[in-house]
Amino acid sequence: MAEEEALRQVYDIVGEEIVDLPLAFPARRGWWLCFSGALALLALWFVSVIVLFSNGVAVWGNTIPVNWGMAIINYVWFLGIGHAGTLISALLLISDRNWRNSLNRFAEAMTLCAVVCAGLYPILHLGRPWFFYWIAPYFNSMHVWPQFKSPLTWDFFAVLTYLIVSLFFWYLGILPDLASARDRAKSRGYQVFFGIISLGWRGDASHWARWRQAYAITAAIAVPLVVSVHSEISLLFSAGPIPGWNSTVFPPYFVLGAAFSGFAVVGIIAIAMRAALPLQALVTLRHLDMLGLATLATGMMTAYGYFSEVFDALYAGGQELATLNDRLCGHYAWSYWGAVILNFIPLQLLWWRRYRRSPRILLAVSLSVAVGMWMERFMLVVTSLYRDWLVSSYGHYMPSFWDWSLFAGMGGIFLVPFLLFVRFLPAISASETKDEIHEEATDG
Amino acid sequence: MTTGWKKALAQLHGQGGRRFWRGLDELADSPDFRKALATEFPGLASLDWQRRDVLRAFGASLALAGLAGCEANPDDRAMPYVVDPEHLVPGHPQLYATAISFAGIAQPVLGVTNVGRPTKLEGNPDHPASRGATDAFTQAALLDLYDPERSQVPRQSGIPIDWDSLDARLAAQAAILDATQGEGFRLLTGATTSPTLLRQIDLLFARWPAARWDVFEPVDDSALHAATRAAFGRRLDVMPLLDRAHATIAFDADPLGPGPYQVLNSLRWSGRRRAFQQGDGRADLLVAEPSPTLTGGRSLDRLVAEPSRIRALVEALARIFGVTREAPALTTKEAQWVERAAKILAASKGRGLVLVGSEQPAETQALGWAIDEKLGNLSVTSQFSEPLRPSPDSDPEQALNALITDMAAGRVNMLAILDANPVYASRQGPAFAAALHKVELSLHAGLWHDETGHACRWHAPLAHGLESWSDGRAADGTAVIGQPLVRPFYTVRPVHTMLAAIGGAFGISDHDLVQQTWTETWGTLQPNWNQTLVKGIAPEPPRVALQPPPVRLLPSVAFARPTGLELLVRPDPTIWDGRLANNPWAQEQPKPVTTLTWDNAVLIAPALAAEHDLADGDEVRLSSDGVSVTGAVWVMPGQASNTVLVHRGYGRRFGEVAHDAGFDVAPLMDQRSVTLTPTGKRRKLAAAQEEHAIDGTDLVRVVDYLDTAPKPPKKPAPSFWEDKPLTRPNWGMSIDLDLCTGCGACVTACNAENNIPMVGREEVRNGRRMHWLRVDRYYEGDPADPKLHVQPVPCMHCEDAPCEMGCPVNAAVHSPEGLNLQVYNRCVGTRTCSSFCPYKVRRFNWADYTGGAPESMKAQRNPNVTVRARGVMEKCTYCIQRISAARIAAKVADHPIADGAVTTACQQVCPTAAISFGDIADPAAEVVKRKASPRNYTLLEEANTRPRTSYSARIGKERGDG
Repeated sequence: MAEEEALRQVYDIVGEEIVDLPLAFPARRGWWLCFSGALALLALWFVSVIVLFSNGVAVWGNTIPVNWGMAIINYVWFLGIGHAGTLISALLLISDRNWRNSLNRFAEAMTLCAVVCAGLYPILHLGRPWFFYWIAPYFNSMHVWPQFKSPLTWDFFAVLTYLIVSLFFWYLGILPDLASARDRAKSRGYQVFFGIISLGWRGDASHWARWRQAYAITAAIAVPLVVSVHSEISLLFSAGPIPGWNSTVFPPYFVLGAAFSGFAVVGIIAIAMRAALPLQALVTLRHLDMLGLATLATGMMTAYGYFSEVFDALYAGGQELATLNDRLCGHYAWSYWGAVILNFIPLQLLWWRRYRRSPRILLAVSLSVAVGMWMERFMLVVTSLYRDWLVSSYGHYMPSFWDWSLFAGMGGIFLVPFLLFVRFLPAISASETKDEIHEEATDG
Repeated sequence: MTTGWKKALAQLHGQGGRRFWRGLDELADSPDFRKALATEFPGLASLDWQRRDVLRAFGASLALAGLAGCEANPDDRAMPYVVDPEHLVPGHPQLYATAISFAGIAQPVLGVTNVGRPTKLEGNPDHPASRGATDAFTQAALLDLYDPERSQVPRQSGIPIDWDSLDARLAAQAAILDATQGEGFRLLTGATTSPTLLRQIDLLFARWPAARWDVFEPVDDSALHAATRAAFGRRLDVMPLLDRAHATIAFDADPLGPGPYQVLNSLRWSGRRRAFQQGDGRADLLVAEPSPTLTGGRSLDRLVAEPSRIRALVEALARIFGVTREAPALTTKEAQWVERAAKILAASKGRGLVLVGSEQPAETQALGWAIDEKLGNLSVTSQFSEPLRPSPDSDPEQALNALITDMAAGRVNMLAILDANPVYASRQGPAFAAALHKVELSLHAGLWHDETGHACRWHAPLAHGLESWSDGRAADGTAVIGQPLVRPFYTVRPVHTMLAAIGGAFGISDHDLVQQTWTETWGTLQPNWNQTLVKGIAPEPPRVALQPPPVRLLPSVAFARPTGLELLVRPDPTIWDGRLANNPWAQEQPKPVTTLTWDNAVLIAPALAAEHDLADGDEVRLSSDGVSVTGAVWVMPGQASNTVLVHRGYGRRFGEVAHDAGFDVAPLMDQRSVTLTPTGKRRKLAAAQEEHAIDGTDLVRVVDYLDTAPKPPKKPAPSFWEDKPLTRPNWGMSIDLDLCTGCGACVTACNAENNIPMVGREEVRNGRRMHWLRVDRYYEGDPADPKLHVQPVPCMHCEDAPCEMGCPVNAAVHSPEGLNLQVYNRCVGTRTCSSFCPYKVRRFNWADYTGGAPESMKAQRNPNVTVRARGVMEKCTYCIQRISAARIAAKVADHPIADGAVTTACQQVCPTAAISFGDIADPAAEVVKRKASPRNYTLLEEANTRPRTSYSARIGKERGDG
């Protein structure tokens, strides 16, 4: 009896820590500081987009031959980041790894924000962005359909599907906690707000049964999507007859790379939230350890992708070898070596549990990976295009101010909703954490 | 202006009642009003205004608002080529045989007009100096017609005035000159071959015997004439007959290079080359030159030689044939080259040609002719004739100096400068401008209010060659009559009318003046006149080729090798002496050798660059004798290491387009040697191509002559896609790299045909030039002495096109006729097609390159080609509009499209007919025959895109050649 009482107290604490966060937010000043920074970035985004739309893509640094630049680099990068959320949640849910519960909610939210950023880029990238919907199949009087052989058409489907499923998955997961927040809310405004978005959840046994079913099914849909979406993105490159792109290793290489960068960014956010909010008891060192392991594992698999790419080039010779040479020793060799060093050298620290459990070390490694993976995407896009086939069409690429400003502005697109989420919604899954504690207690 | 109105209004106020109502006519008719009108609206002043006219003008201005108020109908006395004007059908272009003058030499063309707007110049296929081809200059000349900066009104001290004021002044002056027999009158013109202009000048100077006429042409034949005068005793033109030359040894001569004779020389050279390809004789070409030229690029063996070494090389060659006894010291390489040259010349005895550049000293040129004379080549492979561009002065430089002295001394009362720009283009420009102040009546008549226009007190705007009647002689000496394609856009005067006005005769039309000339020549005007207008060639008694007198060998003048770096000042390959500097097509045309656009540069050898630690774009100061110019360096592989080459025509001091480009080399114009000092600054040069080395690739294939035996066709590589049956017609192209000289006329022709926007220096630097067709330039081997290659690259129209697979919206699609189409209004601009294109021939509208074009320039556009908007991809269409026109014509006539019925713009303009286009499903088609040649190959075969554009490999080693 006493044990049960103790458990109940723990539940209450968990509930308070998580669900009460929005209601009595502890770090208001810090939040406002971050939020105003994010708003400033958002303003920069709007300025960059207005400049872009009024002048055309000419304001960027794209050229012939490098006519894909920062927009595509950042598209792939953001989408890669957007991988970890759903991957962590869904894959671990299916495989019944409960340690995920402290991480999944904000990882999923991060995914949503990142996918929105990623999804905006290809539209902004268009020469005539106002016709972006022509890529979608829709009935029209001209009887013109998208061109289904094009990887871009499937990109559009893949990203859209991924966004929708991720949104469902996240919303399904947060539903019980929204109801909990509704019940604990004291002000009328919060009660109405949470009341509406919790869709009448009462904690009924039948609710829970349905919820579990729906959640598991969505997870089962989401996991293959994680694989398919980045495989599809990789076709954007590997379908083209461009040396350095035209390779069958690309789909797995891209998926692993995406998961790698995603885990790193989840790590960054977990450590940042842990420092900013009183969540140390929930996001424990064990979670960091697990994240570290996942980062290490996907990182080493990505390294294998690098290796096999080099091997392919050596095996193929000719133009492929020339492109490898351009990557290793060319004008943009910094992006290749930057990617190799930042991705894989600090990563080796994570072989030691001691470093995986050190938030600072893990943060440093994760930041390094995030930057390294950006460089990898830069390397993939630019070093393949700037010297592709004909010597006469060799060229250069230099991102312009507006390229960088849009990238920084995308930070606003990412952070503003994410900070709102942290501020106003339960950022960690209380119901599942309670579940986990319950199971551990009863098992013990 | 206002005073005129005020006066008129005051006059009105003074009237009463009915008088007032009738007063409007008088108001409009008053001389003050006419004057005011002429100043403010020069276009209206020349008309005799009646009430009906006003109403008609109102209606017309509404109707023609889209034409920017141009009076764009062809002169009704002009005779359309083949198609009768009565059958004018909107949408059907009309062709007029006419000519456009370049540096005095008439370039015979057919002017294409669409509803009264000249939109394209094609070479006149019936004219032996064109055969349907033109050079890049002629293609670009069309755009000058539409230049919004063309001078539109007469000016006095820079202030717009009306023609009446100018005419009054000229009439008064003519009266004075009549009294003084023309004392103090000087006329300065550009070079001309126009019989009418020459007749007018003769008449004028018969009236004013004390006056004097000088010719100022920045790039003229005076050096050649000086040499022929020394060697043959008289001034002569010497044209190389490359079609007859089985062996050509060129010393610092560039007959295939840019210039007024380029088309004719290229035609002749390609004639010989094509015969050689088919097994008829040889076409050996050896070149010794200081810096790569188009001729050097076509040579079998190119020797890099300082300008000062040429003399020794020619002497060594002459010695072998016993022409001279001088035995110059040669390096091993030079000796080998000379030996080979001698062998080749001996093998083609009587059909050889030794060409010595006219910038070489007269005695070296004479030695070259002496070799030809000795071998019996001289009258076979060279054509001697009276100077095509007559000049009153044997030394124009001296004449110009004398004119400046006379002006400065106040001995010139009136100077009329007709279509020449000595203030900019001569070395004595500043002195000339200063001396002009001493001239009581200085008048400049030209297309632009340029540097000389600014320096003169009076300025009169001339009509463009396509707006006026004129005549002239083509490069081969045949006379042509230039008929206007369009009435003048502004109240400008044709050059003949202007010269008549200088003589005090006003209101004489250019048409009448030209007709008078030819009536005198023919005795009667008709039927020759009409035939000439239709055909484009004025019949004349055949010109008798001059038999050159024996060559007089000249004593070798002791000639010290210059102490510093040897300086070469040459006309620019795309803007010449600066006359095309305000022309965006010419500015953005990549220079045939360097691929630079929008700038000239100090061309130096890689070795010299290494010595001074210089890279492309580093600024250097070239100084000599206390004068200096600064310019950016361009490292030129294959240039002699002790030579510096700069091009004229840049550093103009007028014009939106012209003014900020390059540097003026005028101060160094007569220097032979310079010192070079880096300034440490950099200038961003815009090269169309960044890298040129192709060692280890097979992009440009070179085969031995013996290897041209047919080989079994290769089995195509496997493909995912099924082969489509070849239905007729199915288009394809073949480009013969053995015939292409790399002149770039195709690029400008494509601009004109396909409404291609020019993007400017910055965007070219950014890799955003829009040319659908580019001429790739490659170097193979040692940068100090590389082999030079050129390769025109249009869209390949791949059968398995990666762009079509990549486009998500079906904007890149394959037509049933095999064309790779780009549907502009479907394109959303993902640029996937360009990313996937191995040839990078696709061009993207990064910004709105077309909307902001000046209104007048928009009138040039081809109405049959869509003007592309911002954000869409575009590329070569194989001139689909021409295919459509041919298809419609064939359908109307109810027969299949005949071979040769479709010519692409690049094919049509090519002086060497290197490009062939047609139906590859037609076994009899020329293009099929070319593709069946064992020299045929496709670019980047390993990409397996199966291009429809294929190339014929260069023949590197000639028959019987070691």
